[in-house]
Amino acid sequence: MAATLTSTGPARPRKLLASRRIRAGILYALPVIVYLLVLFVYPIFSTLFLSLKNADGSLTLHWYADALTGVNLSVLFTTLRISAETALFSLVFGFVLANAISRLKPLLAGLAMLIVVVPHFISALVRTYGWIILLGDKGLVNQGMADRWFPGAPYQLLYNEIGVVIGTTSVMLPYTVLLLYGVMRGVDRRLLAAAASMGAGRVTIFRRVYLPLVAPGLASAGLLSFILSLGYYITPALMGGPNQTMIASLINQQVMKQNQWNGAAAEGVILLLLTFAGLLLVKLVSSMGASAKKRSAS
Amino acid sequence: MMELRSTLAGRIVLTAVATVILLFLALPIVVIVVTSFGSNAFGSFPPEVWTLNWYRVLFADGSKWPAALSLSVLVAALSTAFSLIIGVTAATALTRSELPLRSAVYALVLGPLLIPQIVTALGLFLLFEPASMLGSPLAIALGHTVLASPIAVLILVATLRGIDERLEDAAASMGAGRLTIARRITFPLAAPGMIAAAIFSFITSFDEFYISQFLSSVDTVTLPVQIYNSLTFDIDPSVTAISAILIAFAILALALVALVRWFGSGRQNSLLSVETATGIATPGGETV
Repeated sequence: MAATLTSTGPARPRKLLASRRIRAGILYALPVIVYLLVLFVYPIFSTLFLSLKNADGSLTLHWYADALTGVNLSVLFTTLRISAETALFSLVFGFVLANAISRLKPLLAGLAMLIVVVPHFISALVRTYGWIILLGDKGLVNQGMADRWFPGAPYQLLYNEIGVVIGTTSVMLPYTVLLLYGVMRGVDRRLLAAAASMGAGRVTIFRRVYLPLVAPGLASAGLLSFILSLGYYITPALMGGPNQTMIASLINQQVMKQNQWNGAAAEGVILLLLTFAGLLLVKLVSSMGASAKKRSAS
Repeated sequence: MMELRSTLAGRIVLTAVATVILLFLALPIVVIVVTSFGSNAFGSFPPEVWTLNWYRVLFADGSKWPAALSLSVLVAALSTAFSLIIGVTAATALTRSELPLRSAVYALVLGPLLIPQIVTALGLFLLFEPASMLGSPLAIALGHTVLASPIAVLILVATLRGIDERLEDAAASMGAGRLTIARRITFPLAAPGMIAAAIFSFITSFDEFYISQFLSSVDTVTLPVQIYNSLTFDIDPSVTAISAILIAFAILALALVALVRWFGSGRQNSLLSVETATGIATPGGETV
C-alpha cells in the first residue's frame, strides 16, 4: 500500500523526463547513424555481396579461390611478411624511444614528443617522398654516410624490400611510440623500487618486473602497427618493386586497371577478416593484461 | 661504483639510440624542405645552388597543381562542415541525453577508424560509381567525412564531458531555456573543442588518399592523388615545393590547435572560479 503510494507520486514526471531524454538522444544520434549506415555499413556489405556473386548473379566462391591462388596468393604472403617486418621494427624502435622519452625531464620529453607527433600529421605521401630523396643513389644516406664509412656504396636502398620497410616503419612508428609512452608512464615506479630494495639487480628488475608490466602494451602496439600495415600501400607502391605489391595495391589495380570489381571485393573481404582477427587478438591481449594487473594488485 | 658507471654508460647509449630514432622520424621532412629550395630536386644534398624555381613552377601556366589544390580545399571545407554537424549532434546524444544501445552507436562511430581505409574506399566506389558520381567534389567530400566524422565525434565527446554540467544546471535553475543555455553556456565552453575538431577534420580530408583515388576522375584529382601520380608516372621536381608547403601547412594547423587549447583551458576555470571563490563548490572544504 505504502509502496504504491510513493511510486505513483513523483515517478510519473521523472518517467516523462526520462522518455524525453531518450527521444532527444535518438534524435541527436540520428545524423551519425544514418550517415554511417548509408556511407559506411551499406558499402561494406555491398562489397561482401559482390565478392560472392558471379557475373550472372549466382552465388560463387570463385573469387576467393582466385584470391588464394597463384600471384594473388603471393601478394597475400608479401602483405603479411612486410606487415610483420614493419611491426617488428616499429615495436623495437618504439620501445627504445618511448623508454628514453619516459626518463626525460618534462620539457625535453615534450620536445621529443613533438618530433614524434608532428610527422604523424604530415601526409604519408610527403614523408615517403622524403625517403625517396634520402635513399637514392645520390641521396644523403648513400653519399653522406655509406660513401665515407662503408665500401661498395652506393647501395640499392630503393625499389626493394629494404626501402619499403624503412619507409613503412617511419609511417607506423608514431603510433607505437604514443601507445608505449602511455603504457610506460602508467608503470608504478614504486614496484621497481620495491624490487631493488629486495636486492634484485637491474637486469632482474627489467626482466621480472618491468617487462611483464609493459608486455600487454607491447603486444597491442605491435599488433596495431601490423594491422595498420596490412591495408597500407602508399610507401610499398612508391618505394618497392614488383615483389613488394600488397593487397591494398592489388585491390586498386583490379578496380582501376582490370575492371575486376568482384576480385577486388574478395581481396577486400580477406583484408577485412585479417584485420578483425588482429583486432580480436588486441582485445584478448588487453583483457589478459587487465586481469594480470588485478592479480598483481591483490 | 660499478653499478653507477654502468647506469651512466647505459643512459648515454640509450640517449644516443633515441636521438637516431628521432632523426629517423624528422629527417625525411627536413630533407624535403631543404631540397625544395635547391636547383636539382633529385641531386646532391645539401643543394649547391639555392633557388625558388620550384615554387614558381607550381603556379606557372599549364601547371596541374592549382586545380588539385583548390579541389582539395573545397572538398576539405565541405567535409569539415559535414563532420561538425555530425560531430556536434552525435556528441550531444552521447553525453547529454539517454541513448538506447549507446555502446552499439559507439562501435558504429569507431568502425571507420578500425577497418582498412582501402576497404572503405572500395565500398564507396561501389556506391558512387553506379550513381555516376565519380569525380564529383560532393562525393569525395561525403567519402572523406566517413573518416573525418569519427575523429570529430571523439574530440567533441571529450569536450562535452569536460564541461561541468552544473554550469548548465545552474543556468536552467535561473530560468534559461535550452536554446539560451546552448548559446550562452555550452557553445562558448565547447568552442575550443569545436575548432580542434574542425582543424582535425580538415587535415584528415586534405591528406586523405585512398578514397580520393577511388572517387576521383581524370579531370578532378585531389592534391594527394596528384602528388602520388607525380611520383609514379612523371617525376616532376616541383613536387618538392608542394610537399614543403604541405609540411608548413600541417605544422601551422597543429600550432593553431595548441593555441586554441591553451586559450580554452582558462575559460571554464574563470566561470567556475565564481563559485570556488564563494566556497559553494568545495565539498568538504572549510569555507561554506
